[in-house]
Amino acid sequence: MNEELDSQLSAMFDGELPMAECELLARRLSRDEQLKARWGRYAVIGASIRAERGVRLNADLARRVSSVISKDPNIAVRFVERQAARAASKWIRPVAGLGVAAGVAALSILWMRAQVPGETPELAQVIPAAPAAAIATSTEPDSYVVPRPSPRPSLVPATQLANYVVAHSEFSSPVARRNLLSAFMTGEAGTAGASNGSEEGSENVYDDAKNPAQ
Amino acid sequence: MSADVSDLSLVRRVQRGDKGAFDALVLKYQHKLVKLVMRYVRNPAEAEDIAQEAFIKAYRALPQFRGDSAFYTWLYRIAINSAKNAVVSRDRSPIDYDLDRNNPDESYDMQGRMKDSETPEGLVLTDEIRSTVNAAIEALPEDLRTAIVLRELEGLSYEEIAASMDCPVGTVRSRIFRAREAIDRRLREVFEGGLGRAEELG
Amino acid sequence: MALCLVVLSATSVRAATPTPPAPAAAAPDEPAQWLDRMNKALTSTNYDGTYSLWLGGKVELLRIIHRVKDGVISERLVSLDGSGREFIRTGGDLTCYLPDKRTVLVERRPAEESLFGNFPAINAQTVSSYDIREVARTRLNRRAMRVILVAPKDEYRYGYRLWIDESTAMPWKTQLCDAHGRVIEQTVFANLTPAAHIPDSAFKPDMSTEGFRWLRTETPGPPKEPVTSTLLFWSALKLPPGFKMTVHSAQVLPGSNDPVDHLVFTDGMASVSVFVEAHSADGAPSVNEDESATVGTSSAFSTVVDGHKVTAVGEVPPATVRFFADSVKRQGVTMSLSGPPRH
Repeated sequence: MNEELDSQLSAMFDGELPMAECELLARRLSRDEQLKARWGRYAVIGASIRAERGVRLNADLARRVSSVISKDPNIAVRFVERQAARAASKWIRPVAGLGVAAGVAALSILWMRAQVPGETPELAQVIPAAPAAAIATSTEPDSYVVPRPSPRPSLVPATQLANYVVAHSEFSSPVARRNLLSAFMTGEAGTAGASNGSEEGSENVYDDAKNPAQ
Repeated sequence: MSADVSDLSLVRRVQRGDKGAFDALVLKYQHKLVKLVMRYVRNPAEAEDIAQEAFIKAYRALPQFRGDSAFYTWLYRIAINSAKNAVVSRDRSPIDYDLDRNNPDESYDMQGRMKDSETPEGLVLTDEIRSTVNAAIEALPEDLRTAIVLRELEGLSYEEIAASMDCPVGTVRSRIFRAREAIDRRLREVFEGGLGRAEELG
Repeated sequence: MALCLVVLSATSVRAATPTPPAPAAAAPDEPAQWLDRMNKALTSTNYDGTYSLWLGGKVELLRIIHRVKDGVISERLVSLDGSGREFIRTGGDLTCYLPDKRTVLVERRPAEESLFGNFPAINAQTVSSYDIREVARTRLNRRAMRVILVAPKDEYRYGYRLWIDESTAMPWKTQLCDAHGRVIEQTVFANLTPAAHIPDSAFKPDMSTEGFRWLRTETPGPPKEPVTSTLLFWSALKLPPGFKMTVHSAQVLPGSNDPVDHLVFTDGMASVSVFVEAHSADGAPSVNEDESATVGTSSAFSTVVDGHKVTAVGEVPPATVRFFADSVKRQGVTMSLSGPPRH
């Protein structure tokens, strides 16, 4: 076993691993059965030390849970499906050959919208710029490559919607811009249709009596 | 942020469809959760069923987990609700519900509540595992033993342990890791060897 | 809270009388004051924080660094998950690093645009559409917080709930909610450190850009044609309750030479833009169906009216943008926009 990796595992188990490394390790952990087994034994060690009497240390609880959820529809997929079921709404698809340039923020929105697998809008034509540092730039102009022809052209192509949103953002409240930017940063796309999937969790924040803060 | 960061990394993977990441969360918290549920039901097997149900509920409700509390805190509440429902539905006189008013600190004040979980009807715990771990800990060099005990029994952070042992945080991390390695070596023998059980705990 | 100062001197005793409260301003402890303090803290103090963003059933982690130095604002927003994307703003220069695309985008943006934005100022208009009140005093991360609620009075807008730190006035937790109280989006700081001094190095991206494409986009210029007056028409438009028009301009958006009529409506907190432009069929005959979309927490709705494409966009519920679009539809676009449509 890779010692550095196991040392990270131990630190992550204790919540003492820096965030960036957690991200990478989490990815490995979810796939690597040996790593998972070791992680599980770390939990057993802790439980033993705390002498938690009555708790079975070799229970196959985790295996049973894993087996049940493996039959569950995938959470992410369920979310997307729910959105698609909404009526009177369509995915706004890029239109081939539009060749519309978009501002930075608009481009960012374009990437935001790339949630549907495979639908990654490429850069619109933009002017290659000299960077602040003297890094060589590509001399060919970037052209707009929209991956696939859509079955029906859209009323408002993705780039145009993006431009609208950006033009609007200059007048919207800063906190709304924050939401937009944050969503972009994480690569979370917009979806066609109404609100995000929070119907199940109807927590009434305005009913103060029932919902003490935090 | 303590355990939150590592848990959150796993939670976020699950929210994006990675079920394997949820296994890791279950493995980490299963004992704690069973122990918690056993405050409401004495039977360990029944407690495991309820804990299992709680984990599954948590998985399905994960899109509503917003990260403003620790994952374990959120999981804890789900488990308590499941336990209370199970007790009530079986028509037993409910145990003191005030138990859940105590905020579950994700550090380890469990030792204060250990007394509650003595089960009169036969312990199912695997003595072999516990004695293996205890023997391994006894055999550890003192600095490793101190580090792992402070971490697992007292629930101190690396920084707190470093202050207590008067050494750098990096040393704490290394000592805890090496302690676990030593104990794990013996544990693996139990899991793979003598009992002939599969290595995977799950 | 009035302070009484009693100053003892060797010869006499003087008592300073409390100063009378400023007549027009809100009392120091009112919710609107807390929002104001929060805005000042967000824009004029230095801080470095990590926050989680919950949206659409998923949680992400981001880091924000903010500094004001010699009147110039520097900001850096970092995605802490796998994408590694970063926005860095220095004054009016916005640079977006996209390591996953091996691309860097550069643009000039208005200097007032902040990456972690603050609240609009509360005014009389806001109060007519929103109920603003303090709902609790609580603790979060072991710090004393005021929980301020900005509740919409109807379903045409969203509301907010904010946990504002009593000592620093920073918003440790912000929720965007719909009129039924459902949380749509949430931002929570895991740690937030005020910083006396943040070095320039903190505003460099955490990656090597070797081999990256560097791209700059042209900022859209002013419209080539003057805006013909459609103001009479617009002022007759039926609006959702609480909204007023604040801006009417024409813009040339990137990639096109044709100006787009752009109107902005606001209720004092949320705003909606309506864009109207000539709609040429472009050879696609049957693209007249309405379209709706969400972009982050913003809603958009498009429709065709009298040969014009009308799109409403704003950080409001979908029904509200639809209201605007339908309103235009009922009214009709009878006057021409800035100049004849071009192809």
